[in-house]
Amino acid sequence: MARLELNNLHAEVAEGDEKILEGVDLEVESGEIHALMGPNGSGKSTTAKVIAGHPAYELTEGEVLLHLEEDEFGEEIEIDEDQRTWDLLELEPNERAALGIFLAFQYPAEIEGVTMTNFLRTALNAKIEEREELFEEDDGEDEEEEDEGFESSPMEGPADDGEVGVAEFQQILQEKMEQLDMDEKFAQRYLNAGFSGGEKKQNEVLQAAILEPSIAVLDEIDSGLDIDRLQDVSDGINALRDEQGTGVLQITHYQRILDYVEPDRVHVMLDGQIAKSGGPELAEELEDKGYDWVREEVYGTA
Amino acid sequence: MSTQVHANLTEEQVRQISGDLDEPDWLLETRLEALEALEELEMPDVIRTPGRDWTNLHELDYESLVDPLNAAEDKDQLGPDEVDVLSWADAVDEHEALLEDHFGSVVDPQENYLTALSTALFSTGTVVYVPEGVDAEDVTIRTEQNSRSLFNYTLVVTEESSSVTILERQSTGTEQDEQYYSGVVEIVAGENSSVQYGSLQNLSEDAYNFTVKRGETDTYATIDWIEANLGTQLTKTEVSTELNGDSSETQIVGAFYGHNDQHFDLDAKVWHRAEHTTADLVTRGVTDDVARSVYEGVQDVGRDAWDTSSYQRENTLMLSDDSEADASPKLIINNHDTEASHSATVGQIDQEDLLYMTSRGVDPRTARNMLVEGFFVPVLEEIAVDELREDLEEQIAARLRKRE
Repeated sequence: MARLELNNLHAEVAEGDEKILEGVDLEVESGEIHALMGPNGSGKSTTAKVIAGHPAYELTEGEVLLHLEEDEFGEEIEIDEDQRTWDLLELEPNERAALGIFLAFQYPAEIEGVTMTNFLRTALNAKIEEREELFEEDDGEDEEEEDEGFESSPMEGPADDGEVGVAEFQQILQEKMEQLDMDEKFAQRYLNAGFSGGEKKQNEVLQAAILEPSIAVLDEIDSGLDIDRLQDVSDGINALRDEQGTGVLQITHYQRILDYVEPDRVHVMLDGQIAKSGGPELAEELEDKGYDWVREEVYGTA
Repeated sequence: MSTQVHANLTEEQVRQISGDLDEPDWLLETRLEALEALEELEMPDVIRTPGRDWTNLHELDYESLVDPLNAAEDKDQLGPDEVDVLSWADAVDEHEALLEDHFGSVVDPQENYLTALSTALFSTGTVVYVPEGVDAEDVTIRTEQNSRSLFNYTLVVTEESSSVTILERQSTGTEQDEQYYSGVVEIVAGENSSVQYGSLQNLSEDAYNFTVKRGETDTYATIDWIEANLGTQLTKTEVSTELNGDSSETQIVGAFYGHNDQHFDLDAKVWHRAEHTTADLVTRGVTDDVARSVYEGVQDVGRDAWDTSSYQRENTLMLSDDSEADASPKLIINNHDTEASHSATVGQIDQEDLLYMTSRGVDPRTARNMLVEGFFVPVLEEIAVDELREDLEEQIAARLRKRE
């Protein structure tokens, strides 16, 4: 089990002093699906980016904690008692990923010249390796130095080392792609380069399926999807939760995807804060009435 | 005209070089005329941006760099049986008429000070002759410089409906504080013939390099260049094609990676001088540390060049804040019946791209290296010679691994 906890989180744009988050409190636990809704500019995407470690934001107050239980990463990784709570704001994005955080981007980057297969296998192996380092016993202080010697060997490339080999990875990839009804040709294409909007979103869910995160933040994964693909993507999200026990924080504008991915909790964000939380019925209410009634209820004005 | 080498350069030296190679009189005369012309000739044009000459060729101390009688190298000149791949001395012996027809026909020996210097003093070279109808792959020329200066000459002549792929590499064997490599390459592509000439320059980072590579096409001929620069302290190169035959084509693919205090001054040029000609110029390069690169690409469409297609793209990626890069693509159109495009960009690694990768668990260093390797892929994909592509890929990866 894992639990992501945002406490009184305040953030502003690093260059400039525009305040975006003004005290966000939120908790997402393994196996739960939370929907985060709210009008444009309310701070939803910023919340997602801050969780992942986007360098464009400065955190002025509050904390982002990740709580892990002993068995979160299976039997091979032993999580000591003093390693069960992590302050994510102290960690690099790749370290957060190694601890099980995943962000599906609203606008995934297009990376020319790097194939999906190469990238995903590199990411998977890097994540396994980083995780081992993070949970390593403290007595191995000299390990870093050994790495340096390693790197000076001219033939040592990143291509064929790592926990998961090429053949094994191909199999994992193929399996996950089939589940998501993706064409196997995607594996050899460059990462998101020339992908349609829908293909990019599908690819984000594929990556989550392969990296098996503890907590996945999905930033408008449903935007730009036609109905068939919405179904595939929704199946993928439900599988994350059902098969891997991932906790999902789903940012969306629309009730539509919530018909396929039923949330346990719905949160409404207004002006950089969670203004209201409730069960799935809250999303339907929002769909009918818009956000103004929430504003009215919270602030007493329209 | 501030830098001259006359003090230690003599007619006797030139006579000795030519005599050792058993050259005919006309060739000796060409060399002596080049030597004499040094006095009058200017340095090649360098790229200028307002207020700045990027490359100062006058600053080089040619007097101490040029040591014409002590040239030393280790050389391989290999090719399949159906083509002649000859050392310069053998070519003089076996193909004098061919040399008389083509030597100096594409690159004028007296084009500038450095071409004249090269013509007067070259002591080694390769001639590749591809007879009519022959298709030849895997001509490889490797030069390892072991002396203070080395002047090299390459001539490629393809007869009608032949084709050849050539890979020429330069590296340094015995390193010295400062070394000078000078190379002139001429390609004469006959009717309906096709040449892919790839070059991988990986000289010592204490070396200076001046190279001109130029080809001319007959009707329906194709010349494709791959120009890869990794080595030297200072490189000044030009790669160019004169499209003289109707329906002829050229592609100039460039890749460079400068680090430490390397300086690259790179020219790519194409002259459209006939009808229905096509040119495609694609260069990608990286600068790191305090390295500098300056690129100029010129597409010159002549008055009689009806139905021209001409495209040019250049992209430079700066990996450090202190490296410098400039790129200027130029398009000169004297015939309106032209479809053309030209663009150049200089940029840094996109932080959003980097975050995308690190947020999936890839450490920042690996992510950056993958982005840089990926950046080169569009040019690598254009390289038909596997050996060159793999070699270049490997050297880029090795240089990236050495960072930090």
